[in-house]
Parts: sequence; C-alpha cells; structure tokens
Amino acid sequence: MSMRSQVYEWSNLQANANQLRRTTSDLPVGVVAKREYDIFTGGLGNNITKPAETTATQFIVIEDVAASPLLGGAVQIRINTTDYFQNPDVTDMSGIPGLASPYPRGANSTVDTTVDTASAIGSENTLKSFDLYPDVYVLPGQTFQILYSARTATTATSTEIVSCFLKYTLYDGPDALIANKLLELGVTINPNNVDWYKRSLIEQQQRSRAVAGGQQ
Amino acid sequence: MSMRSQVYEWDAARETTPKDVADYIGNRISIFIGGVGNNITKPAETTATEFVVIEDIACTPSLGTLSTVPAAVVVRGLTTAAGGLAGPRAYVQVRINTTDYFLDPDNIPNDGIPGAGSPYPRSINFQPSFNLYPDVYVLPGQVWDALVTFYNDGFPGAAFAAGELMCFVKYTLYDGPDALIANKLLEMGISINPGNVDWYKRSLLQAQA
Repeated sequence: MSMRSQVYEWSNLQANANQLRRTTSDLPVGVVAKREYDIFTGGLGNNITKPAETTATQFIVIEDVAASPLLGGAVQIRINTTDYFQNPDVTDMSGIPGLASPYPRGANSTVDTTVDTASAIGSENTLKSFDLYPDVYVLPGQTFQILYSARTATTATSTEIVSCFLKYTLYDGPDALIANKLLELGVTINPNNVDWYKRSLIEQQQRSRAVAGGQQ
Repeated sequence: MSMRSQVYEWDAARETTPKDVADYIGNRISIFIGGVGNNITKPAETTATEFVVIEDIACTPSLGTLSTVPAAVVVRGLTTAAGGLAGPRAYVQVRINTTDYFLDPDNIPNDGIPGAGSPYPRSINFQPSFNLYPDVYVLPGQVWDALVTFYNDGFPGAAFAAGELMCFVKYTLYDGPDALIANKLLEMGISINPGNVDWYKRSLLQAQA
C-alpha cells in the first residue's frame, strides 16, 4: 500500500480549543473574518498533532481542495512559506473560493440567520467550477498548510457551520522515489504513471537478463 | 464468472429490533460484523484463490446549518441535532488486517472518508467530492473491514431508523485463475481492473498461438 488516496476534512465544530479528535459534543464556533486558519494546526475545529509535512520517503500530490461556499469562504495551499494561488500582479489572495470548489458539493451558498427553521438554508445547489489540475506537489521534506479564510465572519448569535476538504495521494517508500524520478523526467505524477515507470523498469530488467542469457 | 462486480449496502436499522443510537455514537462499527444493522456470518476475508479490489466506499452525508437551528428539524432530508448539524456526521474507514487505510497528514489513522465527501445515496443535494483512486487491494488471505463512525445525534428517534445511517461498498471479486492473473499484474505494477485482466489473458493466448 505505497500509493494511497487520502482525505482530510475540517469544520468549525469543536468541544474545546486545540482539539485533536472529533467528539460527540462538538458545537459550532465562530470564525473571524479574513483570518487564515490552518486546517491542520490552526487551533480551531478538528486538528492533527503536528504540522503536515512529508518525510524523506514520502511524496504528496494534492488533487482537490474545497470549502463551504458560505461567508465568502476560500482555501489557499501553502508549501513551506509560499502560497500557491496568487493574483495576476503576484500579490496575495485568499485562494480558491468555496463557490468555485464547494464542499459538500451541492451545498447551499446562502443562509438566513434570522430564522431557525429548515428555510434558513438556501435552496440552491452549488456545483464546482474549478478542478485542481495540474495537481500540487509536496516534495519530500516539505511542510504544507491548507488555509481556510472567510470574507465575512460567522454571525455571533447564530453561528454558521463551515467546512474544508482536502483530497491527496500519498506516495510512500519506493513509490515516492519513483515520483521523484517522474518529476525529474517532467512526467505528471499520478498512480498510472508510477505504474508505467515500474513496468518499464521490469521490462528493462527482463531485456538485460535475456541479453546476459544469450551471451552465455 | 471469475471476475464479479460486487456491492454491499449496510443500514444501521436493517434488523428486527434496531439498536439505540446512544449506545454507538462516537464508536467504530464494522458494517460486516459490528452487531448493528444487517451483518454477515463471518469477517470479510479473501481465500487463497480470491483477490478483492475495493473501488468505492460511501456513507450517509451531513450538512452544516446554523447553531440556532434546534434539534429535529429536517433539512434536505437530514435531521438536525443540537448545534445545528444535520445528519449523522459519519465517516467510513477501510481496514486491511489490522491496518487502517486512511491516515491524517501526521500519519495517524483518522475516521476515514466523510459522508459529505462520498455520500450514499447520491443526490442533487449531496454529490461526491472523492473517488477512491488508486483502488484498495485485498490480497489473498487478508481480512478486511469497513468501519463507520458517527458523531452527531441527527436521528429523530432513540433507535436507528431506515436510511438514517447507511454505508455502501463497491468492489470487484477476482476468483480462481483471474485471482492469479491479478497477483501477476500486481507484481508487474499494473493496475488491477477487468480490462487489464482481459488484456493479460489475451497476451497469454497470443503468446501460445
């Protein structure tokens, strides 16, 4: 299992600050406007034990990021200290809008905070306008962050529940070495190409053996 | 019939007397032998002549609303709990022998695929953000399981009711000679799918001719 499809889901639901695992007593907590929350170690919602990083024998390919379309939510990818999504003038931006890459897909993009019935939820179904292609590579030894930000803060009296979603493939061990090799060759890193490289190595070995057998 | 597309659908309420939600909230439930809902007679495992490729997993979705929406309000077919989250907040993890497949970036096993990312059933309101690629291989002689965890009491009654917490697994079962070919493809680093198994058979026939 050296190529594994992985996901990470974050939401502003927690029972305590700096919470690692989800619990059955999680409740929505407020999100401040225009603040970037690291979905891994930001201290809000469900978090993990340490910043997301690849070891020397791991290679990560981020294939999708998505966020709630509510509150002008957006999601940015940061590799080490570099933000992936930039404005055309190379200034900072908040990243992919949740309206372009919604999570969950089909979710509402509006809420009415003045009512507390089912009609509080907008009737629209937001579909994706964005595909993360080409994928984003996290090389061995790099740290990466997924930063969620909202243009508008959650309502103090009636907190909106927002989420963020990350889909990536983790290449580990020999497959991470092959991923590095493909990167050097300028070939896109995906499971098919890793398999293709393995096959070409096997074929090369078989040819070498045949040649050696013929010489004896 | 040595390559067969298979599915398994689990519903927490599909038994004579459905269990109480409170006894299972926050716990991992095996959809095969967890003692909740419809189960099978023994743990899911492959024999020495079988090879399983899991191609999709999904579970009941959830949807965030507002903290002021009270419990028991139905939003897009899901029931809210206190806090305003509609649905069970369910996740599904795949386990091969004793190893969990889905990990957090700190290499610690997590709850698995969220139902909001891979919903079952799919609808206009709930569409998938996730597809299981590369597939998960269960090699001959391995035991496998799908484990559902839910955190939200988005259930109108005390006991599970039909359709409130479900899980779905789609897999292909390779048996007999096709399982041997699947093993061979694995050695060769070729993705195991019916097309590639057929390709391998054709190449054997061509080599014989």
